[in-house]
Amino acid sequence: MSSSPKDEFWLEERQLEPRWALAASGLVNLGVWIAAVFIVWWIVFSNEGIFKLYTPLLGFSLVIWTLLIILWQAELFDFWPFSRRFLQTAHPLAKGAVFTAITIAVYLVLIFGIVFFIIGKLGITYFNWNSLMEFGELGQDMNSVRENTSWAMLCLSIPFFLVSVWFMRGVGKDLFYELKEPKFGLANWLFVVVIAIPLYAVFFHPHLGSMFYPQQIYTAVPPWWKAIAHTNSAEYTLGILFCSVIGVFYTLHLWDGWPLNLVRRQPWRFIYFAVGSLVIGYLILRIQLWIFDWLWHEAYVGGQNKASFGWRYSHTVTMANFVLVIALVQNLFFGAFYEKMNVILRSIIKTVVAIVLGLGFAWGYYSWGPLLLGVTEGVSHPSENASAFLIMTINILMIQDLFMDRWPGYRLKK
Amino acid sequence: MKRRDFLKGLAATSGGVALSGAVGTLSKARARKGGQEDFGEVKSVKVHCISETSWFDNATLGKDIKQAGGINTNQYEVAYTEENLGGYAALVEVEALDGTVKKYLLDSGWSNDWMDYVFEKDGIDRMLQNKEIDTLFISHDHIDHFFGIESTLKHQPDIKMYFPGTAMKKSFELLKGADFSATPGCPKNSVPHKGELIVTNTDKLYKIQDGMALKFFDAPATLQVRGENVLYFKIKDKGYVTVTGCCHPGIMTLLNHARRNFKDGNRNYGCYGGLHIAVFENWDPKFDDIIRGVKSFNMQRIGCNHCTGWIWAEKAEKAGLPIIHGTDKHESYKKVGTLAHSKTSNVYLGNGDSVTF
Repeated sequence: MSSSPKDEFWLEERQLEPRWALAASGLVNLGVWIAAVFIVWWIVFSNEGIFKLYTPLLGFSLVIWTLLIILWQAELFDFWPFSRRFLQTAHPLAKGAVFTAITIAVYLVLIFGIVFFIIGKLGITYFNWNSLMEFGELGQDMNSVRENTSWAMLCLSIPFFLVSVWFMRGVGKDLFYELKEPKFGLANWLFVVVIAIPLYAVFFHPHLGSMFYPQQIYTAVPPWWKAIAHTNSAEYTLGILFCSVIGVFYTLHLWDGWPLNLVRRQPWRFIYFAVGSLVIGYLILRIQLWIFDWLWHEAYVGGQNKASFGWRYSHTVTMANFVLVIALVQNLFFGAFYEKMNVILRSIIKTVVAIVLGLGFAWGYYSWGPLLLGVTEGVSHPSENASAFLIMTINILMIQDLFMDRWPGYRLKK
Repeated sequence: MKRRDFLKGLAATSGGVALSGAVGTLSKARARKGGQEDFGEVKSVKVHCISETSWFDNATLGKDIKQAGGINTNQYEVAYTEENLGGYAALVEVEALDGTVKKYLLDSGWSNDWMDYVFEKDGIDRMLQNKEIDTLFISHDHIDHFFGIESTLKHQPDIKMYFPGTAMKKSFELLKGADFSATPGCPKNSVPHKGELIVTNTDKLYKIQDGMALKFFDAPATLQVRGENVLYFKIKDKGYVTVTGCCHPGIMTLLNHARRNFKDGNRNYGCYGGLHIAVFENWDPKFDDIIRGVKSFNMQRIGCNHCTGWIWAEKAEKAGLPIIHGTDKHESYKKVGTLAHSKTSNVYLGNGDSVTF
């Protein structure tokens, strides 16, 4: 039986309670999450592990898409086609296994099936590394084609992620409200697609067209942001748009939705939410760039590693993700600590804790990552992108929260 | 809320959303005056390319590395196709203001067979035996710059050597005479180094002689290697010249280091060596940024090869950068890279070519 959007979504309906004392429940969850992070990382991603998908961009593109699919299942499709009864009674481990399997299946069909095999083979060369190797000629080689295709997949995910967040939180059930699942989810999802593809074409395709020698100006305009970003790289647009997504999650998990929840009436709610998220994203990027300038001197055109404008734009995303992971852990596992506090006070405390612990997390990652995760030493290493690891940890958090009702530390209220 | 109203509102503000792309970075390159470090001047520097062909076929090396797990794999754990291996080395002859000339060797290549061949071809073996070469600089401990260390040490085991402090533990062991050749393409050294060893770090500028200094940059590289020694020269009445193995820190980092730290550091005259840009002839829009950045420094002579990427050199020349052309001497060597066969523009200073700054 599928739900109607007029009814509450499962995530709105469900009520969770700590299985033990709040601190004990939170700490147990933290321990389980950390253990899962290490297990998944070492099996699937680490260069010293089994599947070695942390190339780093192949791993990055994989985890960003799976995270998006997890959110679509929960917030657009309301766990369709599974019944409320299943969601209420199935063991969290069973639900986690089922929905994670669906996530992987959707990823394989959507990204590897449609984008990689169909579009990459029959339409757009850079979406398939075999096509790139076959037709790319100069500008492509076997070590770079997989990264270039993964970069294209990653770029494609960014507008999809941003517009999805706009629809999930800035539209909610205001559009297509009369439809039941899966029509409701599908209608919203198609709307996301319609907006995301032009955004991809404008903000990312010029970069992809410049990956060849000679530059493919007949199919992609040269990067139009060159003069304002001091780089041809789409890391600039990626930085702004990705930070905008992260900014939305900050508002949800640190500030109870403020300030993006101030406007209620459509279409202003949607417009305010979308523009507001971009403003917040730009501020997150801009403030960090000032800090980077202070830490490492100014970047310069053509600079490499820490001196590269492109790397710095990309690194704003990485650092913002360190803070986001802490913000999510804090809110999902220990959020009840703050419930009785004044909303402004708790927002301030949560923000300070997230920033301080997030910076500590970053320090720990760059200090101990090579030993504990098998990543390459160095903050600006070309083969290193901590966001891949961080998004993977958020995937596991979301699986634990959305699919498994924060098992084992939490359970559904009877 | 009706759907039609929603869509109308959405369309009306789409232009506003698009404006977000126009919000650019406010960063501006803050020009600084040159620094104060002054290590003197030389009259001229001649760099002879002993070998810039570290391997002869990109695809073969790429396949070896990919099979071993990719570019982040430990370089001592990759099984390389031995017939594909060459090496990087350059002879640097420095003419002081009083006319005296000193010779230095930069790097010692990879395959001992290839390095023995090119050393003999250029008389480097005899120079080492006669102790005409003052010092060996190992730019970094990557496969193609250091694995052939035995080819140098067997002629002069007590040669003075500068070595990067961030080198891998096994690289220090190789200096002392280790054997890793059980893995194809990995090195052995049966002649332990007995001379003075200066292990470099980022703390200081190492003055080699008047007008010549070595600077260590702790820069990231592939195959778990870090850090690179870079040679700086100040040519009288011309400006600064850099000589590099791979230039992992980036050419713009080197130019900006001079600008910030050296007396008259804004005068950059030229460079020689690998510039580590389009290493496997791959392209990224950021490489266009490097062309733009280098142009802003008004260099007079750019001698590049090795890991620069032929396509970067070609594109840089088309953009107006003063790329020094090589000759066809490399065609007379017993092995020639597959890419060199397919290119005719000679934008690389190839094996056997020289440049004087």
